Amino acid sequence: MAEILIQDLVKQYGETIIIDHLSLTIQHGEFFTLLGPSGCGKTTLLRMIAGFIIPDKGQLILDGEDITRLPAHKRETGMVFQDYALFPDKTVFDNVAYGLRVRKQSASVINQKVGRILDRVELGHLAKRYPAELSGGQRQRVALARALVIEPRVLLMDEPLSNLDAKLRIQMRNVIRELQQEAKITAIFVTHDQEEALSMSDRIALLRSGRIDQLDTPEGLYARPKTAYAADFIGAANLLDVRSIEAREGQSVVNLGGAHIVVDSATPAGQTKFAARPEHVSLYDEAPSGGTRVPATVLHRRYLGYKATYALKLDDGQTLNADVPSALDPQFSPESRVYLGFSAECRLVQA
Amino acid sequence: MASRLFAGREFSSPWFVPALLCLLVLVAFVVWPLAALFHQSIVDPATGSLSLHGFNEFFSSPRYVQAFYNTVKLGVIATLGTLMLGAPLAYVVARYEFPGKSIVALLPLATIVLPDIVVSQAWLMLLGNNGIARRGFELIGIDLPSFYGWFGMTYTLILNDYTYVYIGMLAALKALDGTIEEAAVNLGASSIRRFFTVTLPVLAPAILINAMIVFTLAVDNFSIPMILGGNVDVLSSLTYQTFLSEMGGNPTMQSVLAVVSVLLVGGVLFVQKRIVERKTYQMQQGRAPLAVRAKGLSALLLTGGAVLFVAFSMIPAVTVIIGAFTKARGPVMQYGTFTLDNMDRALRNAPEPILNSLMLASVAAIAGTCFATVASYLIVKKRLTVVTMLDYVVMLPLAISGTVLGIALIHSYNSGMIVLTGTWVIMAAAYFVRKVPFSIRSASASLYSIPDSIEEASINLGVSPVKSFFKVVLPVMKPAILGAAILMWVTSLAEISATIVLYYGGMETMPIQMFRQIDAGYLARASAYGVILMFVIIVPVYLAVRFLKLDLFSSR
Repeated sequence: MAEILIQDLVKQYGETIIIDHLSLTIQHGEFFTLLGPSGCGKTTLLRMIAGFIIPDKGQLILDGEDITRLPAHKRETGMVFQDYALFPDKTVFDNVAYGLRVRKQSASVINQKVGRILDRVELGHLAKRYPAELSGGQRQRVALARALVIEPRVLLMDEPLSNLDAKLRIQMRNVIRELQQEAKITAIFVTHDQEEALSMSDRIALLRSGRIDQLDTPEGLYARPKTAYAADFIGAANLLDVRSIEAREGQSVVNLGGAHIVVDSATPAGQTKFAARPEHVSLYDEAPSGGTRVPATVLHRRYLGYKATYALKLDDGQTLNADVPSALDPQFSPESRVYLGFSAECRLVQA
Repeated sequence: MASRLFAGREFSSPWFVPALLCLLVLVAFVVWPLAALFHQSIVDPATGSLSLHGFNEFFSSPRYVQAFYNTVKLGVIATLGTLMLGAPLAYVVARYEFPGKSIVALLPLATIVLPDIVVSQAWLMLLGNNGIARRGFELIGIDLPSFYGWFGMTYTLILNDYTYVYIGMLAALKALDGTIEEAAVNLGASSIRRFFTVTLPVLAPAILINAMIVFTLAVDNFSIPMILGGNVDVLSSLTYQTFLSEMGGNPTMQSVLAVVSVLLVGGVLFVQKRIVERKTYQMQQGRAPLAVRAKGLSALLLTGGAVLFVAFSMIPAVTVIIGAFTKARGPVMQYGTFTLDNMDRALRNAPEPILNSLMLASVAAIAGTCFATVASYLIVKKRLTVVTMLDYVVMLPLAISGTVLGIALIHSYNSGMIVLTGTWVIMAAAYFVRKVPFSIRSASASLYSIPDSIEEASINLGVSPVKSFFKVVLPVMKPAILGAAILMWVTSLAEISATIVLYYGGMETMPIQMFRQIDAGYLARASAYGVILMFVIIVPVYLAVRFLKLDLFSSR
């Protein structure tokens, strides 16, 4: 168990700023995810915590101890690498035992600990195999076992699932989350996959150009994005320009295409966008009086099995997508005139 | 500027000191001697002032100019000859299946197992003035031209070096993406058109690169022009002769000759590097086209051809073995007789050259392997300024022929603070310098396949960076390092061009002893050393391939 304090961290290569005055606290036993597109600084931040990159400025504090300049091999972090980084000349057993042998533990303790963790990841029967003789998912589990067996203060994971196929990825999410819960260990997980982040994390830091764009729980990040960047990155929201906004007791009334839409969010300061997730847009073939539906034209419809996605064009030229569950799909054809309803979950965000 | 050149992390890196030590070793044994040689070539020995007198003399003396011209001519003929033999052979082996094809696997072995000196001597025994093959031809009425001179040199060089082209071209053909040929066929090209418009252009850079390798080998070669050159002078033999006649005298001319040959080889290597950088095509990972099974008469011709190639490459070995067990009266070989005297003499009465060779090769191989391991690791994995310098300097020895290196070392270490001339240390140092670029190449190749993350994984698990290298990286490099060590050992055993200027009484090596016996006409005695030389080369190579499953030829 460990608490990590990141204070005003800066890293730049030449003119490029990778981490830009970033501060963050990660709590005891938390499953914390650094989320963002490539180049946002998430891997750099993780590697700074591991000690492979020394920050230019700022401090890293682990359980009250300043580890900013502590050599990587003295940090007691367990890292799972994107390519697993298994030692190709060592068996599964020897890979996992490596860290214990470094710590000069007795042979019987090593046998017991390695045996237990290998059984836990269901690899006990493959202990004598070499990495080249394992499947991707098995290698992944060896890497995880190797990092966990030393009982590190923090578990660090750098896109550990990105080399697995879709089905295995979902399976491994559960394995990782379960192991983290059992060991009651603080874990930092780096990914660019929003679904991974949402399904595994206690909290998520969405990174953007070396800064934290939004720090929130998965539910908070999905339901209440604060910026257009967050709304777009998580759940691919439609971002629309609106004509006018009227604030009303914690709610806002948005004027879009002549219609007035009431949403539950307060109006943020500065430039705003109207963020509407595709599943929060419904299609109707007529507009009731009252002016709450926005007229639009169907560009095309793509059938995806459990749902259909419509591409739509507003009269002012803005385009957006709408998802309709297959059971409710009226199957509009291209060029159809439709009227869009926006649910109250749509939000106003910073542009 | 200096502070920018060496950033702070440069000194704080645990790898700074090892990198600096590697660099210093190369500066001591390559850069400084070579610089001294260049300096000497433009200094008037009488006055000590700068002068181009030596180069003037070189270009105004018909003998020197002729030797330069001969060297280039020999290089060009050898290059064309080896291409004409090696490239079609590689194409046929890559593209056709025929009975007995596996026999061609022996060809790369021949380049290692048969030192130049053995090959030269064997063909001399066969085609020289009293050669038995020559007499055989005379019996059936064919008079061969004299073997001494152009005939002997080009014939032996081509036969000795075509395997390099073969190995290089075979690798290029195997890396060729077969689908581009299929695309050409699909677009309607005939097979001849396809070969000339698609296959050949893609292979062209590989052909050029291999041609240049052979060119530098031919320019560097010492034993073949010395033994078979007759009165045809080339730079390597002339440099040596100038060295002999000038010992203690005016050293300018040997420096000038050495500088000219360094510039010639260096220029070719520079052009080669440019081609590698600019012209090699980024080929998609594709599958090579499947070999076509030859049938009937063509299968028979291919098999026959392959057997012929292998036989010609193995003839020198057989000849030397026969020679070693044949009675001889002075220079006259009594073929058909059998004796153990020659072997007995070499092994019991005069075993010093054998022991010297083994000792020197072992020292060079051990030092060179340690050096290559560290240096290649630094070059591949560590981005320090001092490592960038190391990267440039480490391939410099490839541009220096053995004789030139030997002369440079002698002049640098015959006086001053450190005197090494006339010690075995300088001989081992020369072997080390000459062979280490090859070891670094093969060690680097293995390192490129090791992801940085496994070192980081080890560090993350609590092992310091330097210890992680030994615990995690070194074991993965082990096969490549072992292979490089064995190659270094066997090629050091066969080294003659540097040894010939560096050895001293009591420190003769096997190739030197062979050279002296051949020079004196004692071919049977030379053969005995030749057999022992081949034996000590074959044994470790065989063990490495058989038991360690090493691929000794992948990085050559």
